[in-house]
Amino acid sequence: MISLRRKKSILAAVAVTSFALIASAVPANAEVGVSSTEIKLGTTVPMTGIAAPGYNKVAPAMKAYFDYINDNGGVYGRKINLIIKDDRYIPQEAINKTNELILKDKVFALVGQLGTANHLAVTSKVRIASRNIPSLFLNTGYSGFADVKKFKTSFMHFPTYVAEAKILSSYIKENFTGKKTCLLVQNDEFGADASKGFAAAGLTFDETVKYVSGTQSATTAQTWITRFAGAKCEVVVLFSVSSATAAALGVASAAGYKPQWILGSVGADSTTLRIALNNPQAQALLNGAIGVSFMPDALDTTDEYISLFREVNTKYSPGVAFDTNVLVGMNAAMLTVQALRAAGKNPTRRSLIAAMESKGSTFASAAYGNLAVSKTSRAGFTGYWFGKFNLAGALIPLDAGRTMYTTDSGTGPVTKASAKRAPLPAKGIPTNS
Amino acid sequence: MVCLDQRRCVVHKLSTKKAFIAYFAFGWLLLIVADRVDELRVYQGATIAVTTLAIASIILLTGYSGQVSLGQGAFLAVGAYAAALSQTYWQSPFWFTLLIAILVSAAFGFILAFAAGRMSGPYLAGTTLALAVGLPTLANQFSFLGGETGLVYDAGLPPERFGEEFTLYKWFFWIAAFVALIAMFLLRNLLNSRFGRTWKALRANSTAASLCGVNVAQSKITAFTISAGLAGLAGALLGMISIVAPSAFPLSLSFTIITGAILAGVTSLLGSMLGAVILVVIPEIADVIAHQFGDSEKITTNLPGFIVSVLLILTVLFSPNGPAEAMRKRKEQHAKH
Repeated sequence: MISLRRKKSILAAVAVTSFALIASAVPANAEVGVSSTEIKLGTTVPMTGIAAPGYNKVAPAMKAYFDYINDNGGVYGRKINLIIKDDRYIPQEAINKTNELILKDKVFALVGQLGTANHLAVTSKVRIASRNIPSLFLNTGYSGFADVKKFKTSFMHFPTYVAEAKILSSYIKENFTGKKTCLLVQNDEFGADASKGFAAAGLTFDETVKYVSGTQSATTAQTWITRFAGAKCEVVVLFSVSSATAAALGVASAAGYKPQWILGSVGADSTTLRIALNNPQAQALLNGAIGVSFMPDALDTTDEYISLFREVNTKYSPGVAFDTNVLVGMNAAMLTVQALRAAGKNPTRRSLIAAMESKGSTFASAAYGNLAVSKTSRAGFTGYWFGKFNLAGALIPLDAGRTMYTTDSGTGPVTKASAKRAPLPAKGIPTNS
Repeated sequence: MVCLDQRRCVVHKLSTKKAFIAYFAFGWLLLIVADRVDELRVYQGATIAVTTLAIASIILLTGYSGQVSLGQGAFLAVGAYAAALSQTYWQSPFWFTLLIAILVSAAFGFILAFAAGRMSGPYLAGTTLALAVGLPTLANQFSFLGGETGLVYDAGLPPERFGEEFTLYKWFFWIAAFVALIAMFLLRNLLNSRFGRTWKALRANSTAASLCGVNVAQSKITAFTISAGLAGLAGALLGMISIVAPSAFPLSLSFTIITGAILAGVTSLLGSMLGAVILVVIPEIADVIAHQFGDSEKITTNLPGFIVSVLLILTVLFSPNGPAEAMRKRKEQHAKH
């Protein structure tokens, strides 16, 4: 029999607990993450962990550009507050951190989320599509994200990996016919997408190495290079993340193995190479490698966008070296500002999505071409130009006119055109509506 | 509590009927509260329910039968993958996949217990640890297990009759809390039965128990099997809330579950909920502290682990059987006086 005193204690505890929980209930908000003074955005990126070298600069670069915009009036008077969460490139963490951003930090939209497997996990479990939460300018080229039916509220930034692989295949077939060609890819959707593109282009490899994401290191790279060297590969495509590319180049250099490297856009960054290999001269390993980009090279100070972004970086991220990762972050941020402006003076999640669909293809950007976003597509940019890395790690266009290779994620052909893009907005501050 | 005389008082456990009423009432309270709090709390509630189940599996295994497992995360993974595979390849209904999760992980536990039957103490702990390290990475070796991306495992959307305001996370909470309450009630009854008494005897002194006629090996295998089944159920629910992928079942998950059990008291089933709440609340506390230091992401990432470690040390030093057990003993001493 429970004593009366004990009964009272239990009832009191239950009452207090219930009251506390009820009191913490939050009434519904008109639009989440938007107030009269602020627009709250969130992102999940690898700030620590195995994929962090290089990629941990993307989100701070976005923040730097947003700070620049905030100092110049913000978006219709509202400051942009970017909350950065570290997901360590682990899908489970991406889910946890995205949930924190949405449920706890109550962000208006997600922007610049990084990683194919991570975003697949987020869309699958956090269900941002059914909850109408926009995720703008993903830092991944997984072609599946262009599908508006499956990823209604996700919007791409990069050309897809399928398109990139098709474009690389076109170049390899033009220039390296008859040579033994080998491939390094990641053993997940990122790598599967690339493989799909190579297959669509009819390019086969004499040796394919698939590495498990998170296992890249000098030790595992040893096995990759041993296989490539053993197969006498003359052309090696590294379609891998920065840390894996760095590991492969480092080990190959030490072993004296010098094939013609062709680097996928994801992993080719000289600053990341220096950090990952802990060698201030590591960018020299890129010398002679063929690479692709959909934006000007980060070291090209003659470019107006690069020049502006460098100034912003110097002022708002002092001490941070400007490289491809910073360029990607700032470009995404500039596109985001235009999206927020196009969403109207009282933006809602729906109006932001509608703005992306109707006006996204007209946004100014450092990238060549236009975003292929529309009501029926969530695709990002669609083309690449080819260059060769020099000793300083800069990607120099193979032709002065910077020929853009463009294609889709299906079976469409690779076409060539000259590079075009919208001019830089005055002082790099978008004024679109 | 019944006092036979001024010196002898006995604390009676609730009868099964009264316990059922208590669990039922608690379930209703949870439903009412879930309707009043925001989505974040509901999501955390679902996580607490799942963690409670996982900790309860350790309490059965370690607290009652005295076997140490450092790899409970592996059983969670087995349950989650079994559930996901049955849904993906057999199109099994969701509730049936939970049953599959229990049966498959129980079978797995049975095989492991049989194989490791002669092991105990650090040897069994080491074996289970190796399992926790190696098992999730198998997903990367076989394409049907989904690799790093994992498998889709879906509880489906909430029924339309609940209305548009009934969010997905509330649905997860309802499912997780409902399943956890039923499982905990059944487990409570099991631990109060002769099985529970046998396991307690084993834990106290297996030689003495054997001399009293207890089949030590069979009892240990039974405990391990049921514990694995319970962990598998927790794993399936975790897969429902999260993902079924190797990254959802890291080695740290096993340590987190054990930590929760130790913090709450490895012999206290009621304490499993307390342990789960502590584990969910700690990142919140870490966030508040990190906010004082300019929202440093490094502090936010590392502080929860630091706090858990400190709590673990303090618990082992000052309340090795956990606060629930300490409270119970204080009551008994108070009753004697």
